[in-house]
Amino acid sequence: MNRTPAEQTWDEFDTLPSGFADIRKTAADNFKSSGLPTRRVEEFKWTDLRRLIDQPYPPIIGKLHGDIDALIAVSPFAGIAKNRLVFINGLFDQARSKMPDDSNVTITTLSGKPDMDFSLKADDPLDNLNIAYASDGALIRISGKVKDPIELVYISSTKEPATVTTRNIIELDEGAEATILETCTGGKSAYVSNNATEIRLAKGARLDRVRLLDDGPLGIQLSNLIADLGENSKLADFTFIIGGRTVRNQGFATFTGQHAAVNISGAYMLKGKQHADTTLVIDHAVPSCESRELFKCVMDDTSRGVFQAKVIVARDAQKSDGQQTANALLLSDTAEFDAKPELEIYADDVLCGHGATSGDLDNNHLFYLMSRGIPESRARAMLIAAFASSSFEEISNEAVREKFNQIADGWLERQMEV
Amino acid sequence: MLEIKNLHAKVAEEGTEILHGIDLTVNAGEVHAIMGPNGSGKSTLSYILSGREGYEVTEGSVTYKGQDLLQLEAYERAAAGVFLAFQYPIEIPGVATMQFLKVALNSQRKYRGEDELSTPDLMRLVREKSTSLGIKPEMLKRPVNVGFSGGEKKRAEVLQMAVLEPSLCILDETDSGLDIDALRVVAEGVNALRSPDRAMIVITHYQRLLDYIVPDKVHVLSKGRIVNSGGKELALELEKDGYAAYQDDAA
Ligand SMILES: Nc1ncnc2c1ncn2[C@@H]1O[C@H](COP(=O)(O)OP(=O)(O)OP(=O)(O)O)[C@@H](O)[C@H]1O
Ligand SMILES: [Mg+2]
Repeated sequence: MNRTPAEQTWDEFDTLPSGFADIRKTAADNFKSSGLPTRRVEEFKWTDLRRLIDQPYPPIIGKLHGDIDALIAVSPFAGIAKNRLVFINGLFDQARSKMPDDSNVTITTLSGKPDMDFSLKADDPLDNLNIAYASDGALIRISGKVKDPIELVYISSTKEPATVTTRNIIELDEGAEATILETCTGGKSAYVSNNATEIRLAKGARLDRVRLLDDGPLGIQLSNLIADLGENSKLADFTFIIGGRTVRNQGFATFTGQHAAVNISGAYMLKGKQHADTTLVIDHAVPSCESRELFKCVMDDTSRGVFQAKVIVARDAQKSDGQQTANALLLSDTAEFDAKPELEIYADDVLCGHGATSGDLDNNHLFYLMSRGIPESRARAMLIAAFASSSFEEISNEAVREKFNQIADGWLERQMEV
Repeated sequence: MLEIKNLHAKVAEEGTEILHGIDLTVNAGEVHAIMGPNGSGKSTLSYILSGREGYEVTEGSVTYKGQDLLQLEAYERAAAGVFLAFQYPIEIPGVATMQFLKVALNSQRKYRGEDELSTPDLMRLVREKSTSLGIKPEMLKRPVNVGFSGGEKKRAEVLQMAVLEPSLCILDETDSGLDIDALRVVAEGVNALRSPDRAMIVITHYQRLLDYIVPDKVHVLSKGRIVNSGGKELALELEKDGYAAYQDDAA
């Protein structure tokens, strides 16, 4: 296939960031041979990235542009977290960051002198692209129980269309606990943000991660989660998608120890021409693990939501328990939701199921609120927020839930400049 | 307060006429009871008064406090003081009861050009009213009507009414589903709202409620028409004889 203008600019970007030379080379070569996936690749059938990434986005590192502090203020987590790591256009910004003050937390950055290794998901074009060009990211190691949430903010604010690439590794030692709160946002110009996070949970570790993806109106967010769950560990991951032109939110979770649990949930609130796709693969490679996915997706105007989740249960992974649910609320006739829950089960003693629904607001609900004096627009906003916020119950931090409720409540009035 | 004249209404989609010319005048300070067989149009009348979509008024008029009620949207009617206690209150998952009451009350106040109530003031008001209605504080923490028992839903309707202080209260079978003690508590709640500048339309199947909420007038609605009106003794007659006489008349 011909190289697209975007692929060409990546191919030509030969000044790969320093460090990790071998794996970067492998990843760049992998991407050169695969290119951007098209709709002919099953996992991308509803999100044809080759078509959607339709102009050159040369990789950039740093180069501040626009009102950075206003973008940082997009984060709803200020006040909930006492610290903050800020990455601007793929570079750690020391001045705007405040390191956590906890001996159980060790943080280095990719641009510093990391002593961690990436694990490449070689069959995923986005991960190849990420490793090849990742210019910075947080390498967080947690030992012990860390109470205060750790906040990460990623800003893409460029003058010209550009690709911003970050990669994080979050490692929890045996029995460690932590909460990570992330915000991805960006300015008005077109950009591709490729943000990947590897999560490695040792025995009995517990990680809560909550993200707000609120990219700029022309922003393309390629987000990747690659999680490895050891025995008895627990990962609760939540993604609230409200911004960006196109969001591809991928998650790969693999159980490597028994009695582990993963919950990957989220909400979309989309309008205009926004497109958000969550594609998950949960690999029950060992017995007795539990996986949950719950997504509540609100789509207005001509926006489109996609949800694909595959649960694989290996032959001897007995007592696996996997449930996936996606519910869509379509607010206009031109909005669209496509869901494909998939079970690939090779064991016989398992408890797995999935469900997907889509519908409109309930007129009886609307009338009930209006009959109490609530104007229609407000009543609609309340019901839409109620729909999305039912997913927030998956988030254990109450202050975060409260912030998300506020965002959901104000969503209908929020202007999208597309 | 309310003047209904020759009201004809049909189901907007199917076109089946349900109300075939209703005349009813309710003055401030009065309580009117409407009784009548299942399917006679009592709830339909209450929905049309409160502005539910899906019905079409083909003839007649409804004047409320001197204005054309049918011109107003449902939320405007509520702000103007019309309140319907639903026969089947609706569960609204995800909308917290307190938040709902606050938005409702303050939307109404804003519409009327009044100051909005602060959250602490509202909490105080709601707590006070709910105690007298025997509503447990835990119920207020749940989403609107979600997981409430049948009787709890009816109490919650009366609580909303007590908080919103409407001028025209329409109670659609608020007594059904209530146990004997609850019936008394709810009736007391309703009676507490009786006042010279408030009117009530009480739809019920049972004379017992009317022992507590004593009506000024009783009407019989059958097959979309008011076929008889009288004093409170009419309810006793109906209890004894049923609706047979009216069904024949109307046939
Ligand atoms: N939306 C609708 N579509 C079709 N028929 C309707 C609709 N609404 C009401 N009806 C019909 O109109 C008639 C009157 O119904 P309504 O609910 O007003 O009766 P009711 O007097 O309140 O009865 P009940 O005592 O059982 O509560 C019934 O035959 C009902 O089936
Ligand atoms: Mg009825």
